[in-house]
Amino acid sequence: MKSIFKFATLTVILTIMMFALSAYGFSAAKPENLERGVVGPVASNGSWSGYSVLALVPGAGLIPVTSTQTVFYLGFAAGSQADISNMVLYATPRGSSTITAVTPLTLGGVSNPTIDLASSTVCPVVEISAFNPCIVRLDPTKITLSALSDYYLVVYFTADDSNNSSIGVTYPSFSQTSLRGTYQSGDDTQLTVGKSIPLAITSFTNAPYLLMYVMTD
Amino acid sequence: MKSFYKVATLTVVMAVLAASALAQEKTPATAALANLAEGQATIASSGNPSWDGLSEFVLIPGASLMGASSTTTALYLGFTGGSEADIGNMVLYEVPRNGSTVIKVTKVELGGTQSPSIVLTNTSTCPVQPVSVTNPCIVRLDTVKLALSPLYDYYFTIYFTLDTNNEQIKGVGQTALPGALSGWYLYGDQTRIGVKGALPTNENSDQPPFFLAYVTNE
Repeated sequence: MKSIFKFATLTVILTIMMFALSAYGFSAAKPENLERGVVGPVASNGSWSGYSVLALVPGAGLIPVTSTQTVFYLGFAAGSQADISNMVLYATPRGSSTITAVTPLTLGGVSNPTIDLASSTVCPVVEISAFNPCIVRLDPTKITLSALSDYYLVVYFTADDSNNSSIGVTYPSFSQTSLRGTYQSGDDTQLTVGKSIPLAITSFTNAPYLLMYVMTD
Repeated sequence: MKSFYKVATLTVVMAVLAASALAQEKTPATAALANLAEGQATIASSGNPSWDGLSEFVLIPGASLMGASSTTTALYLGFTGGSEADIGNMVLYEVPRNGSTVIKVTKVELGGTQSPSIVLTNTSTCPVQPVSVTNPCIVRLDTVKLALSPLYDYYFTIYFTLDTNNEQIKGVGQTALPGALSGWYLYGDQTRIGVKGALPTNENSDQPPFFLAYVTNE
């Protein structure tokens, strides 16, 4: 009788394990693009101390891939250390500049990371350059991008900072991306809900500085 | 003891049934044709050089892949002129995203060969004759057993043999709406670059490709 119970238990465990493995197999999604990111060669654009990079992630450019999180990738093409004071993601209604949500973006759990671009654990190919850009993956953001909204990723590089004076961020040589961008002097990461994106959407005519990809993972 | 064998048998049967069911679930349903990257939306014929002895590189950026799940890739060439295209070789290079160092080289074939001659005057190849910008001939290459990943870039590279047929052929470029694809060409056979080799610098910026028209799952 004991044997019966042993095998019955084994049967149940086996079945549960197989279904668990199955569920894992189906849910272990590979990274997918949420937008058409930066393609082709990149150039380096330097001297960012005291500047904010603003990158538009248009809702109209979203690829219909289901995801409960969003991962942003930043590109660096020169320098040894990037000192970031703050990073946020603003949401607006599509085509509008009025902010409806502000989501902090983090790297290593903080919104003001220092990125060691000279470290081979951060940038596998050192020394970084336009030919060997360093792509930094920010922490996954628990946000599902909606086609009904536009999103603005804003990164403010610490002012009066010699490191930031010598860094170069990626700038696409090709314009075939859904992402758009611009920049301006000052900290644009402190805006709150109800305020406006500080630059008109018509300013976002260029391919983005810094932001390379927007993916599910 | 009989109970023991009964339960043991039951265990095995259940495990086999469960494995079988799971295996069936993982079998993909009949895939519908889907674009893996946005292909060329229009057809043109302007700007074609004399293709004899030239290679064309076409960038299929990982960052532009649209999330269609597929274990295979089908590449389509478009012709708008000529009577025969003599291809010396075709490959698909894989490089890091936005990089140029070759990680992997995959053969690309048509009819089981990397060096096919495509008879553009043959109605079984190009149903509407003569081939022109209004009647382009779209040739589907053999399916490549490769799942494109958004974490890499791919360069489809085709070398046209140095012969008189290739002086007359024309591709579908340069279109006004290239989609996600871009290309450039260089003299010589550029399909022999090995793993860890570097692709030549793209000096033609993001011009539409001439021959690669579509990238789909099948």
